[in-house]
Amino acid sequence: MSSACKQHILELNKVCFSYENSQRFIHDLTFSIDEGDCIGLLGANGSGKSTILKLASGILKPTSGNLLLWEQDLCAVNNKNRAKLISYLPQMLDFTIPFTVREVVGMGRYPYEILPAMTVEDALNRVGLLDKASARLSDLSGGERRRTFIAMTLLQGAGLLLLDEPLANLDIKYQIDLINLLKHLKITAGISVVMALHDINMALQFEKVMLIREGKIIGIGKPEDVLTEAMLKQAFDVEINVQKNQNRIYFSYEDTV
Amino acid sequence: MTLNHGSFAHTDEHCIEMKKCLVIICFIIGIAIPAFGEPAKRIVSLAPNITEILYALNVEDRIVGVTNFCDFPEAAKTKPRIGGMSNPSLEAVLSLKPDLVMVTTDGNARQFEERLRSLKMKTYVFRARHIADFPSELRSMGSLLGVSKKAEILARELETALAKRKSELSREQSMIQKKILFVIWPDPLIVAGSNTVINDAITMLGYENSAHRATSAYPKYSLEAVLQEPPDMIVIGKGHPDMKKLSEGILQRLSFVPAAKNGAVCYVSDNLYRLGPRVINGIEELEACFK
Amino acid sequence: MFQIKILFLIFFSIAAFLCALFFGPKIILPWTLGDIEKEILLSIRLPRVIVAFLMGTALGVSGAVLQGILRNPLADPYVLGISSGASLVAALGILGGVTFLGNSTIPVLAFLGAMMSGGLVGMMGMRKGGLWPERLLLAGVGLSFLFSALLMLLLSISNDEGLRRALLWIFGDLSMSDWDRIPYGLIFILSGLALAMSRAKALNVLILGDELAHSLGFSPKRERLLLFISVGLMTAAAVSLGGMIGFIGLLMPHIMRFFFGADSRLLIPASALGGGSLLCIADLLSRSVLLPQEIPAGVVTAIIGAPYFLYVLRRKDVLSM
Repeated sequence: MSSACKQHILELNKVCFSYENSQRFIHDLTFSIDEGDCIGLLGANGSGKSTILKLASGILKPTSGNLLLWEQDLCAVNNKNRAKLISYLPQMLDFTIPFTVREVVGMGRYPYEILPAMTVEDALNRVGLLDKASARLSDLSGGERRRTFIAMTLLQGAGLLLLDEPLANLDIKYQIDLINLLKHLKITAGISVVMALHDINMALQFEKVMLIREGKIIGIGKPEDVLTEAMLKQAFDVEINVQKNQNRIYFSYEDTV
Repeated sequence: MTLNHGSFAHTDEHCIEMKKCLVIICFIIGIAIPAFGEPAKRIVSLAPNITEILYALNVEDRIVGVTNFCDFPEAAKTKPRIGGMSNPSLEAVLSLKPDLVMVTTDGNARQFEERLRSLKMKTYVFRARHIADFPSELRSMGSLLGVSKKAEILARELETALAKRKSELSREQSMIQKKILFVIWPDPLIVAGSNTVINDAITMLGYENSAHRATSAYPKYSLEAVLQEPPDMIVIGKGHPDMKKLSEGILQRLSFVPAAKNGAVCYVSDNLYRLGPRVINGIEELEACFK
Repeated sequence: MFQIKILFLIFFSIAAFLCALFFGPKIILPWTLGDIEKEILLSIRLPRVIVAFLMGTALGVSGAVLQGILRNPLADPYVLGISSGASLVAALGILGGVTFLGNSTIPVLAFLGAMMSGGLVGMMGMRKGGLWPERLLLAGVGLSFLFSALLMLLLSISNDEGLRRALLWIFGDLSMSDWDRIPYGLIFILSGLALAMSRAKALNVLILGDELAHSLGFSPKRERLLLFISVGLMTAAAVSLGGMIGFIGLLMPHIMRFFFGADSRLLIPASALGGGSLLCIADLLSRSVLLPQEIPAGVVTAIIGAPYFLYVLRRKDVLSM
């Protein structure tokens, strides 16, 4: 199958956006997300990563340009149908939510009239939280909470997962756990993932990296191609040394003291 | 200085005697003036019933200030206002430069009266709460204001009316006491309890107040209690221009009560709401209900 | 497990209703009905207990919904100023001696007052086409203060008798409940309840957060508006039926969450039954404790509710709803 005939899940065409009373701009954003993609959205704080994800999920409407979900205008797609295709997890997950794990995961079914085949237990099993099914969300750790919501999106059956900095504030163990879980889900459930992050080391785990600066894409492609010294200097405004050693990339910086 | 003891000694004694007389005379006048001196010329009334009494005693031209609620007689409404009963304005009262402020124990704040006295203002406290104590209170007021004759006439009128009912009462002692429910407001049902002038009037006429067991003066009353102990007569006082219309609802709710069913419902005015000169009319009105 | 709890709640509600009907202030047993007793039961007690149950239902559900859409455990119908606005207009009517609709004047005024303040709060809470929880809460609290201040002003310049009547109404007065008022109350409260139940799933996702709600296929602005309307309808009807009765909207959802969890599809009906039962019992006490006088039902709920509220405060998970 040539890539010309392949449909994109989500296509962004010259999307522009600005918050009112703010100088944040998204300029002429054009990229597409295909099935099986695992994209890391990398950039400094305030570079526009969250905004791009919100635009992609339909929470924010672009001021110009359009988004196509399976070749249909995103704005025209019915809410429930869109929910069956795209799932968005925000950066902040309120820890005072009074629900239990089971109740939260069960909400993944809401877009559906007919119950999907997957059960809550299946979903919990996939994320490794089956033993915590009756626990309250407020009693879980940050990593477990995130996994609960990922279980919810599994039940939601969405093919595209948009995650806003899910690794923030997690211990390295849980960061690695989460990335592995997503990789595993990509293989077993065919889920595409676009994740915003600002840890350049973690970005190496992704097949595709999109480097963002001030609302513009400055590079998109494989990590080794995008994460060059010049690009990193542009994105993060700091000198970073990139070294390749046996197909592994290492980052280091000069001690300027 | 030098004193010529000889010639002045005799004059000294004389002087001392003169001084003593002067002091005694001043002392007598000093006490007498307040007691027998000029009656007050500028009176502020802090209660509607006092205002009514002042008008009845024909001293209305001496009234310089009344409360916002002094609405009887009509002329009283034209007098300068000094605020409410529980919260009159001290400034307003003082700026009228009264020489007498009259308050009651039922409705005016005691602290206000104490404050007035601490500012050296002359006050009179109307203490009567029941009809039986009213005549003597009238007499005190009369002597204070220098209109004892008029006060005596009013007091006698009242006493005669009371005595008449008392004697009639002893004649009809054998009758079973009829129960009266005096409705102040129909929705919610508020009635006159035991510590009211209305209760005095009812018992004076030889009847029983249905609501006498309620602890407060104007309690919100239980509809069920009315049904369980039905009154023989429902009297509805005038709290609003159109009490008949307002009371339709409650009379319908109480339609099971014989009094309501048989139309033993009597509409009276608000004569008994204040301990004032209209209580006599109030008693007569109440009496007329049973004729 | 849930089934047992639900059954128990249903039985408890029926029991509360029957107790309120037969037990107070004097015990009337169904098999010793004389004519007076029958009259009392049918014309006085039955409508009153039905009104109490309806009001309690409305308040309980309103509390549950508000705590969800505002994501705040302290939200209840009174916080949002809907009932202070109603009380202000009702007090104006009472003190002004307005009687153009006879005995229905004050309830109608209260209803209009509630709708007006609800609308005002809603408008102030809107931004960019939707209701924002923080704005809604602040607008409600602010307006509540304003209305209370105006009410206090009004009461301070009124005569004693008017003051008393206004206060008696404000503190919860179910004594004049009769059959005439029940149909209107029923319509508004049941519509509000139906609307809230139909949006129960939406309420659940709103509690998760606006972005997650959107992700799951809901429009947060629209759902919040619909739920707010349901609260407005129910609260307006409740206040117009019997004045301000507090604590039920605040506490009942917390109590029911303890037994049934936070899922709105269960919490809403549970709060309805719980609120109804509680008010039936409170009203029973209010008319039995100081015979032959009646104390306002709002006083009873406050006396029961406040200590319980303080007790709940001591539990560690009070911050979570």
